[in-house]
Amino acid sequence: MKQGLAVRKESGAVWFLYALPALIVYAAFMAYPVINSLRLSFFSGKGYVLDNFVGFGNYVRLFTDPETSTRFFTAFRNTWVFFAIQMAVQNTLGLAFALILAGKGFRGKGLFRTIIFIPVTLSVLVTGYIWKLILNPQWGALNIVLTNIGLGNLALPWLGDPHTALGAISLVSSWQWVGLPTMMFLAGLERISEDLFEAAEIDGAGGWLIFVKIKLPLLLPIIGIVSVLTFVGNFNAFDVVYAMEGANGPPAYATDLMGTFFYRTGIAGQHPVGIPDLGLGAAVATTTFLVLFAGILLANRLTGERPEKKRGREAVQ
Amino acid sequence: MKKRGSIPILIGLAMAALLPLTTAAQAKVEFTLGSWRADDVAQMTQLLAAFNQKYPNIVIKFDPTNPPDYNAALHLQLQSGIGPDLMYARSYDTGRALFKEGYFLDVSDLPGLKKQYSELARAPWTDEKGRSFAIPFAAVSHGVYYNKDIFAAQGLSVPTTWEGFLDVCQKLKDAGITPLANGLADQWDINEVVLMNIAPNFLGGPEGRLAYESGKTPFNDAKMVSLFQAMKDIAPYCPKGFEALTYNDENAIFANGKAAMYFDGSWTMASFKDLPFNWSVFAPPPPAGKKGYVTFHPDSGIAINPASKHIDAAKTFLEWLYSDEAAPIVASDVPTGFFPIAANAAPIPDVHANEFLQMTKSHPTDVRFVWPHLMTGNPSGYNLLQDNAIAVMTGKESPKQAADAVASGLAQWYKPIK
Repeated sequence: MKQGLAVRKESGAVWFLYALPALIVYAAFMAYPVINSLRLSFFSGKGYVLDNFVGFGNYVRLFTDPETSTRFFTAFRNTWVFFAIQMAVQNTLGLAFALILAGKGFRGKGLFRTIIFIPVTLSVLVTGYIWKLILNPQWGALNIVLTNIGLGNLALPWLGDPHTALGAISLVSSWQWVGLPTMMFLAGLERISEDLFEAAEIDGAGGWLIFVKIKLPLLLPIIGIVSVLTFVGNFNAFDVVYAMEGANGPPAYATDLMGTFFYRTGIAGQHPVGIPDLGLGAAVATTTFLVLFAGILLANRLTGERPEKKRGREAVQ
Repeated sequence: MKKRGSIPILIGLAMAALLPLTTAAQAKVEFTLGSWRADDVAQMTQLLAAFNQKYPNIVIKFDPTNPPDYNAALHLQLQSGIGPDLMYARSYDTGRALFKEGYFLDVSDLPGLKKQYSELARAPWTDEKGRSFAIPFAAVSHGVYYNKDIFAAQGLSVPTTWEGFLDVCQKLKDAGITPLANGLADQWDINEVVLMNIAPNFLGGPEGRLAYESGKTPFNDAKMVSLFQAMKDIAPYCPKGFEALTYNDENAIFANGKAAMYFDGSWTMASFKDLPFNWSVFAPPPPAGKKGYVTFHPDSGIAINPASKHIDAAKTFLEWLYSDEAAPIVASDVPTGFFPIAANAAPIPDVHANEFLQMTKSHPTDVRFVWPHLMTGNPSGYNLLQDNAIAVMTGKESPKQAADAVASGLAQWYKPIK
């Protein structure tokens, strides 16, 4: 016992040495840029030299300048819509797929698991381009199929209509990433002890009751992780929109996300002049960071609560 | 989190610091010409080789950047002191901004410059004080491409008025042929090659533009409304689902003979070289009773980096570029769809290029409407015209609302010029 304690004490200091390389890399490539970006959001200047301290000037511009704030709040709202659709579609489907795959006596589990996971392994630029072709109003497969089965009225210019464009892109993104929550839910389901299901069945519980009373509560921590990952992934989303619509958020800024808005202000500048406003860009990046930070704190509170405490409370009830 | 570009830049800096050591050792000088025309490497290399034959001691390397990154990349290079010795300069405000920051050499006194380029030709690369910061190099033209075979089969002739043009569109549509190939998805093209292609006809050419710029005409006057009305009028003749068609889609639709006409710039003719049908271009027709114009837009100038160690050699190159001796070489090596601006410009061999040139000979010209003065503010005139043209074409706004939106957007920042 004594010896064990000594080992533990020593490993405390050694632990730090082992973590040092990772810490250095993290500090240099993650922490420093984030902090520097935060600092730059208080500066303005010409081109890439930001030497003029403007306090909250960039933020004031971001939130009150009529043109800039319109673009910002449009992007902000779109990002939430984009997140909500993915949360609802991608994660619900992921859970459904996991339940089916984990079902007793389901044959071809390996095959279907692979099929569902394949899109995750493809490049976003590739899937974005393929879906752009499928959705093309002139020669896209989707509208040809719709027309041939007599639903020609539904053959819309999906990516060109402000009402459908963001939804279409969210669904493409959901299609691509649904494999991840499926895998995570599946792993969670497989960890639940068979005894619980057996006991419930003996007590006369049906499939739905088992799902609501046993599977769902025990999956709650995983639902929390999946939600946080979806939230982070979507608030930083840029690639899929860029691949399918470009960086200007067409049509009529309907697909402008925080990511594309940041890219236009801070990196590329507005076509065709193309000179970026780095200070304002840093303010956009910092705002995105703060939203993410707050969101993750909240999600942790809601779903990542210490499991013992929760289980204890349930037992009392 | 998104600023990880600094490492490659540092490496680039370090390499750039070594470069002068390697070149200074030789008697002959070697330096680069920066550009956004990544497609033109073959032609420009030929042009520079011709120069090298005349001046064997000066070797110039053409070093283009990806077009959308050019302005930002060039700005960064110049600021870090690793800019190219010679570089393509954008016309008007984008170029002027760099001159103001001291990144372009004043070339007003280059011998022969004023002789070879009229004041009008020099204007896009001239600041308010009349100083030239680049020599004019190439311009692009705009027009309406049309499929001659379809026109012949339908018994149609090239329209000379806007009303006649809409009439041709209607006849084609009635015959089951898509009249126009243009779409909205990429946005810039509906703005640059459709709206600004036809704008001088509706807004009254350079004089009309000047009246807007100087505040004499409000931006929401009847002429501006008529321009947006014209955009609304062509919307029904665009392909099905045109809201979601990209620039590449449009090119493909015209090139596959699936649309009879196509608004585009002269630069596209290179990709239409081997089409299996006969095609030509016509100038966008003006409304009946109005004067017709062609949008002939100064695109690229060439400027000298004042920090260059080879300023004299760079000047030698620019002088050679507009010399009588180089004129035929420039004409044959200038990329297809681009036109030399110098007064001594030699004839270009390409048939279709000449069709474009013919239009500018028979019509007065103007530049793209927003370029000279309306580009820099927020919201820029460019975005205002683009967003409202799209809103009109998709039925979200009336032409009057669009013109009002342009006026109120510009009122936020634009101070009329004197």
